Amino acid sequence: MNRKLMQASAILLLLLGTLLSVQAQNRVITGKVVNDKNEPLAGASVVVKNKTTTGTTTSPGGTFSLNLSATDDSLLVTAIGYAEQTVAILNDIQIRLVPSSSQMEEVIVIGYGTQKKGDLTAPVTTVNTENMLKRTTATPMEALQGSVPGVQVVSSGAPGSSPNVRIRGVGSFNNENPLYVVDGMFVNDIGFLNPNDIAEMSILKDASGAAIYGVRAANGVVLITTKKGRLNMKTAVTYNGYVGIQTPANRLKMADGAQYTAFSLGRQSVQDSGTARLSAEKYGGSGFSPTTSTDWYDELLRDEALITNHGIDLLGGSDKVTYSAGFNYTYQNGIMDAKNDFKRYNIRLQMEAKAFSWLKLGFTAHLTNSTTFNPNNGAFAQAYSSSPLFPVYDSSNTNAFPVKFTAASPIGRPDDANPVASVYYNYDRVKAFQVLPTVYAEASFWKNKITFRSQLGQLYSSLSRIQYTPRFNLGPGANENARSHLTSTQERNTNYVLDNLFTYKDGKGAHHWTLLLGESTREERWRQTQVGADNVPDVEESWYVDQGTPDASYYSENGSRNANISFFTRGTYDFDNKYLLTATFRADGSSKYQTKWGYFPSIGLGWVISRENFMADQKIFDFLKLRGSWGKLGNDGVNPNAAYAEVHQGNDYSAIFGSTPTANGQYIPGYTVNRYFTNLGWEVVTEWDGGVDFEVLNNKLKGSVDYYNRKTNGTAFDAPLPSTYQLIYGNWGDMVNSGFDVVLNWSDRIGKVGYQIGGNFSTLKNRVTDLGTISTITSGFPEWTAEFPNRSMVGQPINYFYGYQFVGVYQTQDEIDKDPIATSYNATAASPIQPGFPKYQDQDGNGILDNKDRINMGSYVPKLTYGFNLGLDYKNFDFSIAFQGVAGNKILNLNRGKLYKASTSLNIDQEFASNLWTGAGSTNSYPSAYALGSGWFKVSNSFFVESGAYLRIQNIQLGYNFKVGNTSPIALRVFATADRPFIFTKYNGFTPEIGLYTGAGYPVYGYDANVYPISASYTFGVRASF
Amino acid sequence: MQQYMKMVAWVICLSILSGCSKFLDRPLENQGQATKIDYTNLSLMYQPVSGVYRTASSGSFARWIIVALISERSDDIEPGNDDAGQIGIHNFQTDVTVKSYWAVNDMWINLYGVALAANSALADLDEFAKNIPASDAENTRLLARYRAEARYFRAMAHFWVGRLYGAVPILGLESNDTKGLAGAKKSSIEDVKNYVITEMDTCIADLEDARPNEATHMGGVTKYTALMLKAKAAMDLAGNDNGSPYWDVVLDCTNQIVASGKFSLFEDYYQLWKNPGKLSNESILEFQYSDFGAESGDIVTSGSNPNETWANFFLFQGPENSVGGVINGSGWMVPTQRAVDFLTARNDSIRLKTVIQYCGVDGATDTYATTPDGDVVSGNAGGRKYFNGKAYFPISQMTPGRTDYYGANNNIRIYRYADVLLMNAEAKIRKGQNGDAQINEVRNRVGLSSLTNANLEQLLDERHAELICEWWGERFNDLLRTDQAATVLPGFTKGRSEYIPLPQAQEDANSNLLAP
Repeated sequence: MNRKLMQASAILLLLLGTLLSVQAQNRVITGKVVNDKNEPLAGASVVVKNKTTTGTTTSPGGTFSLNLSATDDSLLVTAIGYAEQTVAILNDIQIRLVPSSSQMEEVIVIGYGTQKKGDLTAPVTTVNTENMLKRTTATPMEALQGSVPGVQVVSSGAPGSSPNVRIRGVGSFNNENPLYVVDGMFVNDIGFLNPNDIAEMSILKDASGAAIYGVRAANGVVLITTKKGRLNMKTAVTYNGYVGIQTPANRLKMADGAQYTAFSLGRQSVQDSGTARLSAEKYGGSGFSPTTSTDWYDELLRDEALITNHGIDLLGGSDKVTYSAGFNYTYQNGIMDAKNDFKRYNIRLQMEAKAFSWLKLGFTAHLTNSTTFNPNNGAFAQAYSSSPLFPVYDSSNTNAFPVKFTAASPIGRPDDANPVASVYYNYDRVKAFQVLPTVYAEASFWKNKITFRSQLGQLYSSLSRIQYTPRFNLGPGANENARSHLTSTQERNTNYVLDNLFTYKDGKGAHHWTLLLGESTREERWRQTQVGADNVPDVEESWYVDQGTPDASYYSENGSRNANISFFTRGTYDFDNKYLLTATFRADGSSKYQTKWGYFPSIGLGWVISRENFMADQKIFDFLKLRGSWGKLGNDGVNPNAAYAEVHQGNDYSAIFGSTPTANGQYIPGYTVNRYFTNLGWEVVTEWDGGVDFEVLNNKLKGSVDYYNRKTNGTAFDAPLPSTYQLIYGNWGDMVNSGFDVVLNWSDRIGKVGYQIGGNFSTLKNRVTDLGTISTITSGFPEWTAEFPNRSMVGQPINYFYGYQFVGVYQTQDEIDKDPIATSYNATAASPIQPGFPKYQDQDGNGILDNKDRINMGSYVPKLTYGFNLGLDYKNFDFSIAFQGVAGNKILNLNRGKLYKASTSLNIDQEFASNLWTGAGSTNSYPSAYALGSGWFKVSNSFFVESGAYLRIQNIQLGYNFKVGNTSPIALRVFATADRPFIFTKYNGFTPEIGLYTGAGYPVYGYDANVYPISASYTFGVRASF
Repeated sequence: MQQYMKMVAWVICLSILSGCSKFLDRPLENQGQATKIDYTNLSLMYQPVSGVYRTASSGSFARWIIVALISERSDDIEPGNDDAGQIGIHNFQTDVTVKSYWAVNDMWINLYGVALAANSALADLDEFAKNIPASDAENTRLLARYRAEARYFRAMAHFWVGRLYGAVPILGLESNDTKGLAGAKKSSIEDVKNYVITEMDTCIADLEDARPNEATHMGGVTKYTALMLKAKAAMDLAGNDNGSPYWDVVLDCTNQIVASGKFSLFEDYYQLWKNPGKLSNESILEFQYSDFGAESGDIVTSGSNPNETWANFFLFQGPENSVGGVINGSGWMVPTQRAVDFLTARNDSIRLKTVIQYCGVDGATDTYATTPDGDVVSGNAGGRKYFNGKAYFPISQMTPGRTDYYGANNNIRIYRYADVLLMNAEAKIRKGQNGDAQINEVRNRVGLSSLTNANLEQLLDERHAELICEWWGERFNDLLRTDQAATVLPGFTKGRSEYIPLPQAQEDANSNLLAP
């Protein structure tokens, strides 16, 4: 029988077949809730004790009114950030809440449920959404940079792009990004979400927290619940908006025309001197002294790019129905001076109805509509390499059309691109929409001790991408694009998750326990169609393949389907909130692999020492808890695997026969078989975590310390197969990530000034512990794997940069003559080592530079990530500043590394050009210009490996809060924000944040090849609530 | 009580939902299927072989970088650019610069790729073989022939890899398995050549007795292609030793080709390299390509895939030309001044006209030269004076409108009858016989007068001239086997410079290669 039909009818069953029960209500009381400064508290929850079905929330003026029955005797008043209070029922009462000193009462979202923070056995970090909203970023995860220990965020500057997120290191060669669960739906990225829609965000870092998500949990889990209204809540409307400019930060200066000419002539090649001479002849100057000096980055970058966001949000509820709605518009222009921006509309709708006293029905829906103009990122790399000796435009370039751009061929540099032209002739638009509807029904029985919940989360997304290259010509010697070309791509995702949950929560005396039983069915489908045509007219309305010359070779189709069935359970038990136990177990079945089922247990223990009698008399600890957890997590980010030999057929695998002077030749149908394959399974992470949570000195200092150890077994990666370019994908190795996560926060007041200082850091040690029968794996950036390889081997970090150790520069001939390495090289080399050439360490001292002298030159994985922040408030003003940084990681500067393959002078950065070796004693850090062209320089060596450490001021915000109006005042906040205004780094590139590169179909990290520069943004914003 | 009823209803619902079978067991979407081939349908039997031809002709033997690396060890061709790895190979360095040069690894992988493709095809032919009844003589014969075609390419790949790297692994059917391939061990230089000879003996027996342009699959490998490869392997083994029994093998093989009477030299040496010379009666092995006569759309070139425009054999040898329209390339494979002087000195005017084409006047920018076919070629910033005329394809012969692929629709000549004649003559001379007839056949075609009682020196000189600036390393190999390399090639040291060092990446991936 059709399974979907079954599911639908089951849900229908749940919604019917039950009866309504209503309770009489017979008195009305009113009251007001204020804070410790006697200011009205809006949004506080007031419910009848032991009867959560009767309740309301306070108005912006702090007032409430409630219908009560005769038997109700006391009210429970709660508000986020305040200690809860129970008060006797009196009419017209004023209830004063004091700020909660302990975070431990806070209820937070965990997998398939909620738990009080104090009862957790897992290190779950809840994100302070208020601080998150201070960051003016288009995507939510970027706003977390530096604020959560153990979570590393590597952002990219391109508008609309999502950052790379790494939780507790790199446990996999495959994927690093965590699982995101938005209102119960699994998604791979939350770039589509408006940060304002997020009500709560929890990050599950260890096995005790995450194992309930089984095979998807290995990289950590980020749980997001979006804003919801509350029962009996007066409608609250909030407007949020900001507008500002972004400007390129940490601009990289390249060698100018004169510097370029100097070092390129220093290479002493015919081609290079030809370039200088021709530039002087054609574009000004004399002899070998051209006057042209094009700063390509200057030509490519905008000084000011707009960023703006406007959102309006409604929350409210009656006695049976709660609702919320949000509308948001975000626009971010790119700092590349081209068609390059991101526009997004978000709509959020939520409603929950109490159909019966025991049954809640609800839905939430997120609609996202976005348009992204992708820049030609390659232009940034071109701008690095292109000679400054030719201008952007040349009106005398007769062949050039439609724009009179200049090509570099006339100055003898046919390989140089004109980056401005590359950007100008790039049109790459992605229009996407996504609907994420979730419907659920929740039934509660037996004094709410038992709850059943069924939830269907779905994701429908569709994407339409148009890439168009017009017909153009850059003039003689440059490649002419003789035909316009259109590529049109359509993509569709249809995913769903169906969860059925049973929760039982009870207690007797000091014993409390809960039980969760659950079942989840998940299916993800993706399909992509691509078509293309030549000779399509340069009119947007005609961008259909039928308007040009379609060609079957441009057509392709791709798709995938993954299905999972899971069963899971969680039990918690505590005695007197003192001794805590959490145990979870999940069984996951996946369609991706030959081994279908995986099992993921976890256990967590906690001991709240501060509740022990022997702690009663001490004054230091207000709260102290020890935690420990163990568990297994899976990663099914491993590529699906067919485990059989694949046949490739078609024209690309068929030979031509009969190509003669008079005949064109014909394909004789052919095929090839790829015989190399393996059986594959998922990766399994086994994690230990030990931690302590504490609050001391009257809750002024709060913090936690965790040690974690994550071992990934059967990590899947591509092992190279000798004599082929083919890589064999298999579960070849094991690796371990371990380290400490530490967070500390201090808050207090001095007179009228409140202040808060917080900091967090996370250490990470990544080691490959087993590679099976393979001794080393060599990989790297596509097309550069032979020159600048990275390696993995047992006992070393994953994918460390591999090469010779650059130790200085030969200063004199005498030094060369006395050096065995140089002597043995010079004995045969046609281009011998001369003063000014780099010097490498002979690690094994055998007098020859050989394979054994190559070393670990460092890893892209930071040993330390950290963040700290300071907040101040005085009267209506508040000020905050946040820093974040990383240390202990390396970057392979492939922009400089491109010199390796270059036969002529590529441009280099100004730092490089102005520090070149010029004679004995001039420098020991940079080789001579002549050495740049030598084979001796062109080996993978640590000259190209630079520290990736940086410290950045991530965010500064100054805010002012005030009210307008008397009877129902509008609470206003105006704020000025600077995001990423300063960075401190020694790295010689635009940004030390080097994200993931997937251009080759496998993830590559740490190679700086063409990174979109990060911008600083300065914004002004308003928040109004009424 | 009613509450409990509801609970029961929930539990029932849950169990219905969980009853999903087959949900996880479906095959993966959009993945090639191994089972698709119907091995009982014997009309498909040539398909794996056609796949081998394609692997051999696109992205392999005639791949741009391979062609460049092979050629630049001779004194005929300049390195493509001053890339450290290329210069290192040109200078016979064996250090890190060369070992970790990407192209050294790329060449290894792409040449072995042909051997692996052939192995894979042979395994598939075995599957077809199971469905051929013993009584079916016709298909049994075809099967043997198809196997021989695949084996030819496997041997040719090993022959080339061996000539380039020396002692290398022989990858047989065991390398169809991941483990077998990963643990391959090296064979000696002699063993590799002997393997080629033995393989060719099998192939010669099973291949078609036809000139390639008369073969069932026109331009396919025939008996004579195999004979020539066997002769080449034998000639390498014979070296400079006139008494070597391998000269008998060379003589026997080339005699068979000559005696077949099927081959003759194409009359016009200049046009031999252009459209009229495609699959001529001189052709013993030619890689075939096509643009199907259309200005855009489907095209097959020597690039690894059709989009690899710049990797096209002709384009990368095309001059950097600011005025020639489609005749505009990377300007690699430039004939050396020494090659020009050599041809000039021996008054070899037809060969000179064919091989040496000019970039403007002495390569100076803003000067222009005109080819014999009337195409205009400018100078260039690098000051390169010449471009390789054997890879020059006139605009007038190209498919009109095909602007992205200079040289599209031309084939690549690998082995030709002129080489066979010269090998035959050399074997005769070394054995004290007279080789004049064969030498003079070659000489007369390019308008040179006949020799009488030609000696070895004259023969080698003729060989140099006839094969000058061709791409397959014959000139370097001739210098090597006649022991002249150290005198002729600057930087060449006997005992060290014969072979390109094994790629570092290969040694990293298979430690068996570290064995001496």
